[in-house]
This record gives sequence, structure tokens and C-alpha cells, in this order.
Amino acid sequence: MEFRKERVGAGGRAVQIGFLLALLALWYLATNRWGVNRLLLPNPIAVWHQLVDVLRSGEFWPDLRVTLTELAAAFSLSLTFGTTIGFFVSRTGYTIRVFDPLFAGIYSIPIILFLPLYVLFFGLGPASKIALGATISFFPIVLSTIAGFGNVDRVLVTAARAMGASNYQLFRYVLLPAALPVILGGIRMGFTVALLSIIGSETLASLAGLGHHIVQLAEGMDMPRMFAYIAFVVVIAALLNGIVSFLEARGRRHA
Amino acid sequence: MTSRDAAVRIKSVSHQFGEAGDAQFVRALADTSLDIARGELLCLIGPSGCGKSTLLNVVGGLMTPSSGGVEVAGKPVRGPRPRDIAFIFQENALFPWNTVIENVRLGMLFQGVPKAEHETRAKKSLEAVGLAEFANHYPAQLSGGMRQRAALARALSLETDILLMDEPFGALDEQTRMILGEDLSVLLSRTEKTIVFVTHSLGEAVFLADRVAVFSARPGTIKKIIKVDEPHPRNPEFVTSEKFTALRNELYALLHDEIRKTVAEGA
Amino acid sequence: MSASLRHFLQRHPGVVRLGVIAIILVVWEIAARYFIDPMFIAPPSRVIASLGTVWTTSGVPEALRVTLFELAVAFAISTAIGLTIGLAVGLQPFARRSVMPIILLLYGLPQITILPIFILIFGIGPPSKIAFGVTHGTFVIIIAIVAGVQNLKPILLTSARSMGASRWQILRWVVFPHMIPSFFAGMRLGMSGVLLGVLLAELYVSTRGIGHFTTMFTETFDPTKLFGLIAMLAVMAITLNEIVRRAEIRFSRWR
Repeated sequence: MEFRKERVGAGGRAVQIGFLLALLALWYLATNRWGVNRLLLPNPIAVWHQLVDVLRSGEFWPDLRVTLTELAAAFSLSLTFGTTIGFFVSRTGYTIRVFDPLFAGIYSIPIILFLPLYVLFFGLGPASKIALGATISFFPIVLSTIAGFGNVDRVLVTAARAMGASNYQLFRYVLLPAALPVILGGIRMGFTVALLSIIGSETLASLAGLGHHIVQLAEGMDMPRMFAYIAFVVVIAALLNGIVSFLEARGRRHA
Repeated sequence: MTSRDAAVRIKSVSHQFGEAGDAQFVRALADTSLDIARGELLCLIGPSGCGKSTLLNVVGGLMTPSSGGVEVAGKPVRGPRPRDIAFIFQENALFPWNTVIENVRLGMLFQGVPKAEHETRAKKSLEAVGLAEFANHYPAQLSGGMRQRAALARALSLETDILLMDEPFGALDEQTRMILGEDLSVLLSRTEKTIVFVTHSLGEAVFLADRVAVFSARPGTIKKIIKVDEPHPRNPEFVTSEKFTALRNELYALLHDEIRKTVAEGA
Repeated sequence: MSASLRHFLQRHPGVVRLGVIAIILVVWEIAARYFIDPMFIAPPSRVIASLGTVWTTSGVPEALRVTLFELAVAFAISTAIGLTIGLAVGLQPFARRSVMPIILLLYGLPQITILPIFILIFGIGPPSKIAFGVTHGTFVIIIAIVAGVQNLKPILLTSARSMGASRWQILRWVVFPHMIPSFFAGMRLGMSGVLLGVLLAELYVSTRGIGHFTTMFTETFDPTKLFGLIAMLAVMAITLNEIVRRAEIRFSRWR
């Protein structure tokens, strides 16, 4: 059972815009008129100034570079292993029955729990983030690859074989196009999860990266700048996820 | 029938699924032998589970029988024979992500037809089945009948001597079946293919076939072979003739008990 | 391999799965004992043997108990809020169409970035962990409930109305029974969310609770105790997940 996005009418749009405006207004009033502790909720104007400063000074670059590198490394690992292992598991019904519940079971607990183990083994540097990110994002990819290749309509495979398709032809012209929509969905999920786990592990135990920078600002009680960084990270995350979603849609259409 | 006239020789084929003593043990086919002449259209008809589809798969090399064997064009069948045998399945095996013409071309790619011939052969077979205007449509955009025409076009473009069809019209409504049956008869009268056609429909069997092989209930074996002596292409009026009715009644009589037997076993 | 053994294994993929897990444990055991520096990794035999000492380490049972408490409270609150908002929004088409995009937007934000803020506002004790768990669990529950309402076939409402049912009767006899599977699905997802939120917060705070001990064991390079503690948490997570999962299956039978 999946949630269906429904079309929003003009009235609905008004509610949404109104909600966002009200939120901003409340924020402004809370800090400027109602005396909410500036140490908990900074002045939105101050946050804005800090954000502009961060962007203009380019101070974010080193941390952004660290985070993006970790993300790229982790995602490449999970993509490679996930799709390859997933394909080979999908080859027989038996291997699917053995391994699919195993992968699904491990994925059902928050694997970030194992972060301290990774830190103990790899240290506080990027390696632990990459390793954990690769581990966590491996699962949605392998599971969707198994599902994609495993659920190819049998009659299509039989027909192709009857027409003389070689193993390569079978993979390229039947298995891959049939499985691609499902696999792409899993890859998108894997990316999102990798990003979240990397920012998360940077927040929990790191020496560099965007997540770490936010924590530093929190410890220094620099609220306006911290909020600015949070906004920045949120936008970056949304951007990256948007790009991946777009690529997924493109991939599906050309399959 | 001499070995030169026989396109397909089925020799004492029997098949079972699972091992004796298993919960899922099924004796699908019992000692079946048959020679199919070149250029004839043979129908296999029988109750559900009588092994007719199994036999078709064995002939086509998609299944290895538990015992016995099949010879096609003089050589024993050991696996799919894409150069000699083309298949049409009931569940429509068109690739949904390709257009009609791409599907036809893909079949030729699998078989190993030189690229230069793909376009001409594809166009020719699509015209033969009346789908020339729909070459660039996707299967999802076509009706059930049109999809089966496309599957037929793909099979024809492979230019095999033998065509195996497993209840190709099974998923279609009565009217479409009628039209497709008539068109198929016209089309096939122009070729010299040997066709083996599995169906549940008595009328379809009599209308299309040169010979009808009637199967018994499981474990299936050929109970009787009925000849339909009527030239191709079959005239639509044949269906209303006395000869047709007599043949259909004969089939009915042969099948009725077998069907009852099958239902009683809870097949 | 004898035929009867092969038959047995073919019918019981679960046995092969256990075999795979056993092989992994053996490889881990050998690698940890003979090949890797014992500062970084501990063999499973030693981990199991010293579970007792982890348990008797002062403060650990207390921390585990507190974590369990936080999970339970966060779960209860998420369910209450999620169910209420989910039904209120879901049953009213206009509200659903306008509010859900906002909910989805908030759900899509990387919540980990605001974890430091939660700690600053709520402190390092249970309240911040509970709050963070609630934010993770509530959104998924709302989405699951609304998806369930969307799933309700209008024909069922129409036929009830045609038989003369009042609004209350429709709610009681049509909507509520229909929603039960979605409710339990929501609870299952909500539990995953709450687990993630609470455990993230616990790991972040290094001065109290679980985070204190994970930090301590990491800094003293005590992989044995670290593995042991995390294993206990993993068991807690798996157990809680299983409970909700089984409940969902039990109550979704008519689907």
C-alpha cells in the first residue's frame, strides 16, 4: 500500500503558502517580540546574514568536499557490490529464498548503531564514514536488484531462449530492461540513505565534514551560524536527492 | 509416413514432474508417439493437465522428457532450435519495453539473422498479419488480438519450418478468436509451415486443423486422431456446414468423459 | 552430497541461511583471533564470553533500561500523534491534499542535522532522545495512515450509505476496520523510525546513557565490550521490530 500524491488545487496551494509564511512570521515574532531565548532560537535575520556570509566566504568548501567525497566513495562501493551480488543471488529461486530474508532482516535495524565499531576499527577519519555509508546503502540496492531481476516474467525469458538468444543477449535485451525500473528505484533509495548516514556519522563521530561542522557550531553556541549551516545542508541534500530522482526518471523512460 | 515426409517425429515420449513419492509428483504424459507431416496443421486438444502443453514444450526443446525423444528435420531435439522452430505462447511474450517492430527485430537478432535483412523481413511479416500501421506502438497500447498478431509476426519473420502455438488465442474473447482463426487459416495457406497448435476449443480445432489429436486425461496419451479433410484456406462458411458439426460432435464425444474424469480428480 | 540431504536443504532454505551466518561467524572468529590487531576487533567467542562483564559494568544496565524506556515512550507518543493527525488529515480530502505535501516536505529533510538543536533545547537526558524519536516516528505513521485512508474504496462508503448508515456507523463499521492493517503497518514503520531517532540521539550524547559507554569503550580500545553492548542494543532493536511486525501480520489477515 503506497501513499499517492494527489493534485493540489488553488485553495490547497494557498494553505501551503500560508503555512510557510505563518511559520516564518512566528519565528520572527518569537525571537524579536516574545523574548524566546536567543540561545535556543536565533533571530531569523541574523541567521540570514550568517548564511550569506557562509556562502560568500566559501567557508563551506572544505567540509562540503569531505562530505561529497565520502558520499561518492560509499555510494560507488554499495552500487557495485549491491548490483553484482543482487544479480547473482537472483539467478535461482533457491538463492533468493536463502539470501533475501537475510538481507531484509539486517536492513530492518538501524545499522548506524554499528558506527562505534566502525570508528574503533577505521578511526575518526573519512574511512569509517565511507565504510558505514557503503554498508547501509548496500541493502536497498541489493534488495531491489534481487527483486528486479528475480521478478522478470518467465515467459519472456523462455521466448527469448526459444528464439536462440545467447546469455549475453538475454541479459542485455530481456533481463536488464525488465529489471531496470525496480533497480533504479533501489539505487535512488540507496543514494538517499548513503547521504543521510554520512551526514549522520559526521554528526556523531568525525573530525571534518558538514555534519561535524554543525556540531562544532553547536558546541560553540554559535546559534545563528549553526542554523545557517543547517539550512545550507538541507538545501544541498535536497539538491542531490533531486538530481538523483531526475536521473532515475530519465533512466526509467529510456529503459 | 516416411521419414522424409515427417517434419516432426515424436517417439514414445513420456514425462513426469518430481520424483515418485514426492508430494508434487505428477505423471503428465504417458508414452506418446506421433509423426507430424511436413506442411500439416496438427491440433492437440484435451482436458486440462493432460500434457498437451508439456508435449509441445518437449517438441520445441524447452523441456527434456523423462523418457523418449523427438526428432525434428531428422535430428534429435536436445534444446531450443531457433532456426527450425518458432513459438507463440498464450501469455503473450512480447517485450513490453519495445515497440512492435523492435520486438520483431529482436527475435531476428536472437536467431542470428544478418542485420541487413531485419528491416525487410520485419515489414513483410507485419504486413502479413495486418499490423503494418502499428509498427511503432507499444504492446500496452494494443488490444489482446493485436498483440497476438504481433507475436505471430515475430514468429513468421524467423522463417522457420515449424511453428508451435500454445493456446495462442486462449486469453482472447470469442469474436477476436474467430477473426484471428480465419486470418490465420488464410495466412498459413500461403506458407508451407508445419504447425502444431494446442487449444481447448473444439470449434477452433476443427476449423484450423488438418488432423486433431485428442488426448486422454492425465497421464495423457493420444486417444484418437481425427482427420479434417478440407482444403486451406478454410472458408468461414465451413463452420456452419454439416461436416463441421459432425466432426465437432465426434470431438465432443471423445473429450467429454476425459474432461469429467479430470474434474473428478480435482485437477 | 547425498540426494536426501540435498532434498532436505532444498525444502528448508532457512537452514542454509543459518549455515551462511555460521560461516560468517567462523570467518570473523578466525580473522579476529589470528589476523587482526585485537585492539580493533574482537572474536565472537570472546564477545559472548564477556557479555556478563558488560552487563556488570557500572551504569550499563541502567543505560539500557533508560533507552528501552525512551523507546517505549517515544513510540507511544508517535503513535498517538501520528494516528490523530493521520486520521484528521486523511479523512478530510481538502486537508489531505493541502497538508500532505507539507508533511512530505518535512519528512524529506535530513533530521539528523537538527539533532544538536534538540540536545540544546531538551538537554542530555531522556527528554531529548524521546523528542528526537518522536519526530522520526510520527511522520512515517501519518503517511502510512493517510495511505490507508486513500486505499479505502469509495464503493464501500457508497454501499454503506445506501444501506442507511449514519456517519458514526460508517466510521465505526467501515473506516475503522479497514484502517487496522494500515494502522499496524504504520506502527511497524513508526517503530523503525523511533528506533533510529532514539538510538541516534543516544549515540550522540557522549556524557550520559548509551553514548557514554560507546565512547568509553571506543576510547579505551575495548572492542570486546563495545561489540557486546552494541549486540545487546541490536537484540533490543530486533525484538521490538519483531513484536510490531508480528502484530501487523496477525491483524492484517484479511488482506
